[in-house]
Amino acid sequence: MSPDENDAQSKPAKVSPARSESRGVFPERRPEIIEVTPQDVRRWTRRDFLTFGAGAVVALGVAASQLPPSTLQRLGLKFWPRNQWLLNKAQRVDDDVAELLYSSNRLVPTHTKSQITPLRNNYNGATPDPGYIPGWRLTLDGLSSGLTAALDIRNLLNRFQIHDQITRLVCVEGWSAIAWWSGLRFENLLQAYPPDSQAKWAFIESSVNLDPNGNTDPYYVSLDLLTARHPQTLLATHYNGQPLTVEHGAPLRLIAPMKFGLKNIKAITRITYVKDEPKDYWAERGYSRYDGI
Amino acid sequence: MASRAETSPPHGVRLARKHHLLVRVSHWLNVLLLAGLIVSGISIYWASPIYRHSPDPQTGNTDYFADAGLWLCAHVPLMHGYVSPPDWIYNHFSLGPYMLAAAMRLHWCCAYLFMLNGVMYLAGLWLGGEWRSLLPRASDGRGALIMAKYYLSAPFALLSRRRRVPPQFNSKYNPLQRMAYFSIPIAGWLSVVTGWAIHKPMQLSWLAALLGGFDRARVWHFWLMCLFITFVVPHVILVFADGWDTVRSMITGWSKRSETRGQSHEP
Repeated sequence: MSPDENDAQSKPAKVSPARSESRGVFPERRPEIIEVTPQDVRRWTRRDFLTFGAGAVVALGVAASQLPPSTLQRLGLKFWPRNQWLLNKAQRVDDDVAELLYSSNRLVPTHTKSQITPLRNNYNGATPDPGYIPGWRLTLDGLSSGLTAALDIRNLLNRFQIHDQITRLVCVEGWSAIAWWSGLRFENLLQAYPPDSQAKWAFIESSVNLDPNGNTDPYYVSLDLLTARHPQTLLATHYNGQPLTVEHGAPLRLIAPMKFGLKNIKAITRITYVKDEPKDYWAERGYSRYDGI
Repeated sequence: MASRAETSPPHGVRLARKHHLLVRVSHWLNVLLLAGLIVSGISIYWASPIYRHSPDPQTGNTDYFADAGLWLCAHVPLMHGYVSPPDWIYNHFSLGPYMLAAAMRLHWCCAYLFMLNGVMYLAGLWLGGEWRSLLPRASDGRGALIMAKYYLSAPFALLSRRRRVPPQFNSKYNPLQRMAYFSIPIAGWLSVVTGWAIHKPMQLSWLAALLGGFDRARVWHFWLMCLFITFVVPHVILVFADGWDTVRSMITGWSKRSETRGQSHEP
């Protein structure tokens, strides 16, 4: 320290009259005072402003390149380079975190009948015509037997134990509902019809789904078998003690409360067990592939 | 450093060290990250708004944001021709509706960086010893009131062209600043906590339960965002009112106000 600095600190009289203040348990220290030439001050200031300015330009450029195309268009940046690597990376990191947080031993909270809340029909677009229900079959493919199986609803209800479960269904949009479901455990279906030993995924499809204009728009989700084997993952047949209505995916839908609602596919018509991660309806539209909550 | 001081001309400039490099970098990164989090957060909020009213008999609207858009397009000149008045606010202040997937990706990206940035900020506070200047003191309640009174009466003083001497405090920050700078990082931490509660309400169901359940955790998260906005507005106004030294010190790290120990009166 230079003599000047000590001098500055030994002259508290220079400080304008201040109000009395308590100093606290960890009193603050006097700031380090340095004395430099005006040239140095100018040089340092220029250096720091240029460095921070360059950093700001880079950060803004990266941020702008990650904005959705329609936002860039709205901002008038039509020819701005588009590169979504950072967002894609963030989504992958978040999916990995979700997978790390998942545990097949951890049960999601269950509720009582008095806590049940109304559940809305969030069929994307139009609700299918119930005409498909009488001839409905669940087709299983990718089994270890090498065969395909076709099961009707009576078959499923008679062969498997039906479990009741009151859990919260959380929508990716942010709303949620506590609902009472009954159905067979996915795990029990996997035991009765074991998948191929290589299989790690279930590709679950509904051929009856419609788009907002009422045209056929098959819905499909990917489900990792670890989640499928969770004791609270149901293939639900009943809602509120009654057989599922068309609105809620008659006659069989997936209830995986540890996933967002969009994975809880309605009116399942086919389950295929596969080795590699299959496609997913909403993942193709920019949402997470894992959707663990 | 000593040699420079010895060789420097008699009229050298005295500088007080004010902010550690990591504090400065994390401060400016936070500007961008908070902007990204707020914009994408509002877009996510709009996928399922919390605060709604009963349907308007004329328009059928249930959403306050849509009402504001309708009002703007009806009353503000040059906006009468806007095609979809209910969407005006949506389309101009955020990523817009029906962009949930993009908004969520942006939100996760900013959220992870925000958490890393928070760690960097704490490291800077520790390395620079600045954390001591942020700790609340017993006398802060009274001091904060004095400062609040001084700020609130500023517009009247300006109008009546009265010169005023700001209240002096013998510390780096005045009590109101200390209160704000101490509580805002805590609010940031709470945003992270409430964010995880609504991001993973099943795997971290204990956290959601601690905050009063999934729905209530969403409300907390929303109001914490509002708190950041209400902090930022006076923060920016006061930093410009206080002057160039304060802005510069957040870039260069030093203040020319060495006589008052680098104290600024504002933000």
